[in-house]
Amino acid sequence: MPIGGFVITVTPSKGQQAVRALSALDGVEVYGSGGDGEVIAVLETGTSKDMERLVDRISAMDFVASVSLAYLNAEDEMLQQ
Amino acid sequence: MGLSRREFIKRTAALTAASCAGVSLTLPQAEEAQAFDADEWVRGSCRLCGVGCRVELGVKNGRPVALRGVPDSKTNFGYLCMKGMLFYKLMGHPDRLTKPLYRKSKKDKFKEISWDEALDIAAREFAKAVKTHGSDSVAYYGSGQALTEETYLFQKVMRGGLRTNNVEGNPRLCMASAVGGYLTSFGADEPIGSYADIEQATCFFLIGSNMAEAHPVLFRRVMRRKLDNKDAVKVINADPRISPTSRVADLHLQFEPGTDLALLNAMAYVIIEEGLYDEKFIGQYTTFRMGKKEEVSFEEYRSFLRDYTPERAAAICKGNITPDKIRTAARWFAKSNATMSMWTMGINQRKRGVWANNLIHNLHIITGQLMKPGADSFSLTGQPNACGGVREGGGLCHILPGHRLVKKDKLRHQVEDLWGIPRGRIPAKPGYHTMAMFTAVNQGKIKAIWINCTSPAQSLPNADLYRKGMAREDLFMVVTDIFPTKTTELANLVLPTAFHFEKTGVYGCTERRSQLTWKAVDPPGEAKPEVWIVREWALRLAKELDDPVIAKCVAPFVGKEEQYELPEAIWNEYTQKLTKGRDNDLRGATYRVLRQRPDGVQWPAPTEEWALKGGTYKKFVRGMDPLADEHAKDEKPYQFYGPAHPDKKLWIWLRPHKGPEEMPDAEFPFYLSTGRVIDQWHTASMTGRIPELMRANPYAYVEVNPRDAKRLGISPGDMILVESRRGRNLLPAKVYEGPVEGMVFVYWYDQHEDRLINRVTKDAFDPGSKEPEFKICACRIKRVSGPKVLKPYLASITT
Ligand code: SF4
Repeated sequence: MPIGGFVITVTPSKGQQAVRALSALDGVEVYGSGGDGEVIAVLETGTSKDMERLVDRISAMDFVASVSLAYLNAEDEMLQQ
Repeated sequence: MGLSRREFIKRTAALTAASCAGVSLTLPQAEEAQAFDADEWVRGSCRLCGVGCRVELGVKNGRPVALRGVPDSKTNFGYLCMKGMLFYKLMGHPDRLTKPLYRKSKKDKFKEISWDEALDIAAREFAKAVKTHGSDSVAYYGSGQALTEETYLFQKVMRGGLRTNNVEGNPRLCMASAVGGYLTSFGADEPIGSYADIEQATCFFLIGSNMAEAHPVLFRRVMRRKLDNKDAVKVINADPRISPTSRVADLHLQFEPGTDLALLNAMAYVIIEEGLYDEKFIGQYTTFRMGKKEEVSFEEYRSFLRDYTPERAAAICKGNITPDKIRTAARWFAKSNATMSMWTMGINQRKRGVWANNLIHNLHIITGQLMKPGADSFSLTGQPNACGGVREGGGLCHILPGHRLVKKDKLRHQVEDLWGIPRGRIPAKPGYHTMAMFTAVNQGKIKAIWINCTSPAQSLPNADLYRKGMAREDLFMVVTDIFPTKTTELANLVLPTAFHFEKTGVYGCTERRSQLTWKAVDPPGEAKPEVWIVREWALRLAKELDDPVIAKCVAPFVGKEEQYELPEAIWNEYTQKLTKGRDNDLRGATYRVLRQRPDGVQWPAPTEEWALKGGTYKKFVRGMDPLADEHAKDEKPYQFYGPAHPDKKLWIWLRPHKGPEEMPDAEFPFYLSTGRVIDQWHTASMTGRIPELMRANPYAYVEVNPRDAKRLGISPGDMILVESRRGRNLLPAKVYEGPVEGMVFVYWYDQHEDRLINRVTKDAFDPGSKEPEFKICACRIKRVSGPKVLKPYLASITT
């Protein structure tokens, strides 16, 4: 069950709309956002593969300019390996 | 009630991300959340691309469990891309090579052997080749992914010990033209400025680079700069292919492959004719050149450019290029407060790659868009240590450590003296460059070759031709790597090495920045750090050849513990002795300093005091670069002390337009170009083993422009035969408004024989830099069938 800390850069004028849309996604928890369109989100998924899928989905959203990672914990997967 | 463990980890994730973005989060128990997830965090650099992002690996019970960016680092401010975030999964991967493997004949299966046996065999075979066929019958082919300590020690043993300059590396395939460009335009290799210029630039000129996918974290900074200053900052993207990089562009110049020299000269024409040049800067700091020794006047340059009016250039460039677009690009470039150009392989991997580099530099020189904050002519590097290890550490056949040319007696003798070996030991003649080296392999002139941390069987252009040579039974081939590759398939001896964070050493990224990665976990099985392997091999070679000078090359390192002491001793010798007095002076960047700094040190850094402040952000500027002050000849603010220009000036080059070596014709009517995709890196020996990354792009495809697809009856997913005069591939089609009409584009990471695109590419190379023209050749395409189910493929080893 990996947990990732992400900064999602969205079109600044669509900040509120973006936060609502992102919060509505399964596995996404929005922790906060800055005025310049930087949204702080934590993604929690069943596997790293699901995480990648979710990132792809977010990247494809209209108002998203980029998705950057800052932290990833995958201890369950790594300790099992 | 206390928080659950997962809740703590989630908070840590949120806080780490927030600290990168400068967003303040107020979370209860934030303090406790930090440091809950790992026993220890060990700092290093990302293993993959040339951006050099700083990371910390979280270790628990001796295993890697988490990764995070380093927010204080000026390379990435804590951000990472998905590739960078996942590379730690390669530690402990079940495919890792863990035992030395040997086979006498390439037809045999491999057998596991001990390290003693392996090193004896390697020493015996290299010694046999030297005794029977001479020193130049052996060769080393290294990598821009090897640590600096590794490249330095390998080349020391080859040159000083085995008396050959047959020392090369894969950076020849990616940035040799950039080296040639910097040396001929500025008199010194590597960029003048830094990533920090991005936040001050008001115009970006991105040419021949899909930065968004190849250098994603750096591209994020460009994108951020643009988003924050929508009107004030202009982005020009010049490329025959529309890529994710084009998304932020205000102006996309889509030209036909191989016409960029005309485009760049036309921009210079507009700048000169419209009086947008910086007369004072040109007068104070520059000369105009036709050849190395032939100086010409400004008027001659102006008249040379008359062949490149925007109208004429637009007719050469085709695509969407119009005279107006060229004018607009030139005006934005010249008039902006600070213009920063960035480019990669689209410019370098060309028959005239050095010229293309010169013409970008010309635009910066004539407009004075250099040295001031935000202005720079900045070549991006593809690999994490092409600059630090190979360019600076002596990893190419014609250069010795510290940017010294082999052919200069004085510089060669300096190196011999510093190593304490007899003068004359290093041959005066440069060795084989990469394409010549593998041609010599084909011709049977090389009898033993050591390939370290790279896979030429997949990455050389016209690969089939050179794989034949590597398969020769009279060639003894050693490969050091962490996974099986297309090259281990052709080896006699495969030696398992430690991966990143399983050993200690330095990477030097694109912006002259050296950063230390500290060992955090043990390598699997019997895998060993390369520095240990080279030392032990050299000691055996000395015995086999009864040559004490070989032993002398590694004598300072004998008895050193291999994980920390040995690399530090090598780094100390290299920096304290070999970079002293050179333009890449790294004496201040000791391990002690590198461990203290969040993001390493930018050279020149002659003292620890200077290095502790981070080193030099801008070269050649007095007050900013200690060497500019030291070498100052006058009171001018800029001092170009580079070793290659005796007049200490910047050179503006008159370089005519030249097309590619192979143009499309009636038989092969398409241009073929190749490149990267975001989730895969190089030959995919690493990224292909991370399921999350492989899933996104399990196999390569050929991108076809929709108009070409319609004409040829090609639908998405159809199987397409891509054929050149050298070889063929069978790939699924992606019909996509990416490549310009008349051009197809293929990702080069796929190892499957049907999709290994370097079987099709051409091995023409730049006569100056000797870098191959991967980016352009002629091909034809044909629909063979509808979609087929395809499987991803990775090379393996059977024992
Ligand atoms: S941008 Fe390059 S260096 Fe940075 S995390 Fe991604 S692959 Fe690694």
